[in-house]
Amino acid sequence: MKRRNKLGPLFWGSVVFLALLLVMAVIGPSIRHPHDARVGETLQGPSAEFWLGTDDLGRDIFSRLTYGARVSLTVGIVVQIFALVLGITIGMIGALAPKWIAGPVMRFTDGMFAFPDLLLAILIVGIFGFSSAGGILAPLSAVLGSGLTPVIIALAVTAWPSIARLVRGQVATLKQREYVQAARAMGAKPSWLVLKHILPHLWGIILAVSMVDLAAVILAESAMSFLGIGVQPPDASWGTMINQARVNMQAHPLLLVWPCVLLSLTIFALNFVGDGLRDLADPKSEKK
Amino acid sequence: MADSQPRLLLQIGKRLAAGFVSLIFLAFVVFMIDEVAPGDAAVVKAGEKATLEQVQRIRVQMGLDRPWFIRFPEYVAKAATGDFGASYQGTQEPVSKILASALPLTLSLAGPAILVAIFMGLTLGTIAAVWRGRWPDRLVLAFSTLGVTVPNFVLAPILVLVFSLQLDALPATWESPLRAPAFYYLLLPVLVLSARPSATLVRLTRASMIDTLGQEFIKLARAKGVGPLRLVLRHGLRNAVLPVITSMGTSFGFLLTGSYIVETFFTMPGMGFQALKAIQKNDTPVLMGCVLLTGLLFIVVNLLVDILQPILDPRIREAQI
Repeated sequence: MKRRNKLGPLFWGSVVFLALLLVMAVIGPSIRHPHDARVGETLQGPSAEFWLGTDDLGRDIFSRLTYGARVSLTVGIVVQIFALVLGITIGMIGALAPKWIAGPVMRFTDGMFAFPDLLLAILIVGIFGFSSAGGILAPLSAVLGSGLTPVIIALAVTAWPSIARLVRGQVATLKQREYVQAARAMGAKPSWLVLKHILPHLWGIILAVSMVDLAAVILAESAMSFLGIGVQPPDASWGTMINQARVNMQAHPLLLVWPCVLLSLTIFALNFVGDGLRDLADPKSEKK
Repeated sequence: MADSQPRLLLQIGKRLAAGFVSLIFLAFVVFMIDEVAPGDAAVVKAGEKATLEQVQRIRVQMGLDRPWFIRFPEYVAKAATGDFGASYQGTQEPVSKILASALPLTLSLAGPAILVAIFMGLTLGTIAAVWRGRWPDRLVLAFSTLGVTVPNFVLAPILVLVFSLQLDALPATWESPLRAPAFYYLLLPVLVLSARPSATLVRLTRASMIDTLGQEFIKLARAKGVGPLRLVLRHGLRNAVLPVITSMGTSFGFLLTGSYIVETFFTMPGMGFQALKAIQKNDTPVLMGCVLLTGLLFIVVNLLVDILQPILDPRIREAQI
């Protein structure tokens, strides 16, 4: 059996697609401003000036799409960072803390994990208000823009349990390993054990799972934006673009098709990269 | 067999207790999110022009000034009797009444959708496993990959574009009163809603079936001259179906949150539609009621799956005591 070279063309294709998407998200919106509406140039077909045509308000679709990519990736990555910090911390507590702390913490994590995630996010955004980003959230809003903050908070609250459970499970087996036991016997402090002997083994699998989770977060953000309770105007995400394109979908189906295709491809690519990385990080989980 | 009966009952009892705990946890999360958020029922009741003292007086009247650990059991006790409070909006209808009118529609959407998903999952998954590596397998895998990666709010407009706008065969939105049998209105939403769970169940069935078909007892059965159809259905599928049942609970969770999107898209006044409407109108009690009831459905289905498992699989029955 070949051990190496398992990453097929689909994996590398996905990596290239995601890299292009990232470049697009960074420089795309500065080619033309995505909120610029051109009077009298609504619903144009593709041309040299408007690569993919214009929407019902005369805005360039290409730059709107790149802006949507920027928003979706920003929300996804920021949420994932929150989820990683929370999840790794709580997973470590679950695996290493004394039982009377770890037990309740992990029960709480299991409970949150069982909650259908979009449901909880909808509840949080619904009760806190999707446009209120002031108060304690003000510093965050200043950095991220007020349209994104409530979605990010809601999704971060729902995204961490899967990481926490993963980390707990992995650490629980790792700490039984002989080299960890040996280090402990030699008097290594718990913090040293975690940082030098346990965490370095986890990055691979955490990265793999993060990719799949990132896809889930981007999907949830688009769903909420589609429902009108996610990213708020003037910010645009693929979800809001899909929602707006429904109005003219019979006459201008392409308006609908572009964000749909980009979103689906992104989800697809992230899942593929995640699966490939997981096979690398944990050969035992290899699929049949 | 006779002495495994009390064990089974004990197991079921444990699962029921766990289900009850998750229910309380759900109520607690919903309650605390509302607690932490700014504003409460007193602010709404007092109206926009009320002074701070007036709001405070109403708050004391309504008992909202007491700490949360006293009000939470009250909230649970009330919810258990079906009292979720009253809507902030319009005629201040009781939330239970709104939920009672929304629930049947959500169930008539989610019920058929999960059945479609189970049927598709088992048949396509089995087909893929039997013809593993050949074109039926490739085709099924391609479809299931699409089903997992294409979100339902992408699938819905595309299907409406084709079936309602181009072919004019099916209605694009729910209407009241309906102008055709409800079946026509439910067809597209159910199809959209079942896509994702179908795809995940297809993959699981395929993997589990490939696993089962590779085992010794299948070889033995084949050697004994069992026909191919009987081999796959009686000997294979019966064993392969168990992990699929386990994952059905999770699939149902996806399906329920999916129904929020599908109902909103097709303007069907089910629970998801009511929840989204409640968000737009800042109608917290209705939103909380919808989320609680959705969560309750989810917990009940998972409980059923958990209870069904040891009954269907003697190995689990023996192993877990």
